[in-house]
Amino acid sequence: MTGWLTEAVPRGRVAAFRTLVYLFVAADLVVFTPWVRTRVDVPGDLYRPLFVGRLLPLPTPDPAVVGVVFWVLLVAALLAATGRAPRLLGWTVFALYFEWMVVAMSYGKVDHDRFGFLVALAVLPTAGRARHGDPTRTEAGGWALRVTQIAVICTYFLAAWAKFRFGGFDWATGSVLARAIIRRGTDLADLIAQVPHLLIVAQFGILAFELLSPLVFVVPARWRTAVVGFFYSFHLATFATITISFAPHLVAMTAFLPLEKVRPVLLARRLLGRRAGPADTAAVTPRSASSVAPAASGAVAGASAVTAAPDPSTGPRSRG
Amino acid sequence: METLTARGRAVRLAATLLGLALLLLGTVRGGDDDFPFGPFRMYSTSDPPDAPAPDTRIEGVDRTGAVVSLGQDATGIRRAEIEGQQARYAADPSLLRTVAEAYADRHPAAPALVEVRIVVRWHDIQGGRPTGGWTDRTAVRWEATG
Repeated sequence: MTGWLTEAVPRGRVAAFRTLVYLFVAADLVVFTPWVRTRVDVPGDLYRPLFVGRLLPLPTPDPAVVGVVFWVLLVAALLAATGRAPRLLGWTVFALYFEWMVVAMSYGKVDHDRFGFLVALAVLPTAGRARHGDPTRTEAGGWALRVTQIAVICTYFLAAWAKFRFGGFDWATGSVLARAIIRRGTDLADLIAQVPHLLIVAQFGILAFELLSPLVFVVPARWRTAVVGFFYSFHLATFATITISFAPHLVAMTAFLPLEKVRPVLLARRLLGRRAGPADTAAVTPRSASSVAPAASGAVAGASAVTAAPDPSTGPRSRG
Repeated sequence: METLTARGRAVRLAATLLGLALLLLGTVRGGDDDFPFGPFRMYSTSDPPDAPAPDTRIEGVDRTGAVVSLGQDATGIRRAEIEGQQARYAADPSLLRTVAEAYADRHPAAPALVEVRIVVRWHDIQGGRPTGGWTDRTAVRWEATG
């Protein structure tokens, strides 16, 4: 059991997951849930702190509190995305993002799309240093990814449980999708709603998929990516019909994927190097030969002039 | 390979079990208030296949008599937040004044609101499909005095 729970993964995968998660924190602040900042415009009467908000001595949101959390969290998340100081920055981001969520959810509506993401933020600081592309395997990193996976699957499996608890066993034959489409359906959804029985069939399908989702842990490894691909396709359909994105959950779910194989910065470098052409390469090579690692190929050296900025894909060089 | 110490392994196992126990407890007994360990109850309620479906909106009437939509863009308050606290508004309609104030803060030049109301549009559903028919009902109304 503990062997499975802490099955080692390449450090490069932890590094890629870490960069993705912390970049999403920044994106969430400015792109996905910018309405959290407008909470301060909402009269304080409507602030009804959650249980955890009453348990911890958290301040009632005012412009100063929200402003400080927003800016410190934004900067800390961007720094954490580089992989530097994974513990200090990681715990800082977790604490501030958690406070941000308590503010967001304390005005009468709680979102259910980020349990896996919060777990990822809580465990990433324990995964230790990890450099992009490093094939060394790590058990600490393996545990971080594993519990994020478990949290993601719990979100599905326990959602079926909640349907039985709140909706009853006839949830699947009710009108929940029709109601969702009326409230926030797209044109595509309105079209689908006209097909007889399709929404009821879809409700049975959702329940089956949620109840069977834990099987992702037992299917052969070569099918796992396909199963995760199916999970993503479910969210694509949900977004196309009722514009619910579950974005943080989708980010957490990348914990299932061999992320270390995706090297966007290396790829960009290679493409840029190719575009620079052989003539430019010749001109740049003498200078870069002294400043770039000896192993750098001509193509990479040609691009060295444009990659002087910190490189999130290669992360921190080990400095002892 | 970077391995864990026996202690590191035990602490991680304990943390995993504690987290799972809290989540299970929240799913079986808890509610939204127990965030982040509450039940994943999105779209978990069930209604008979022929029951009308509510589509809630909040709107106001300004001094000139014009009807103003008071959605999230106008007030910063999300629709689901209005619905989540609808019972409070119904018990004390004067709370809707806070919505008028949030609107006024964001639109200082706009004519003041003299009325704010929560309106529910009930869509007809037959056999799990919307029929296209609907009825509007005002759930809560607040009028400015003086």
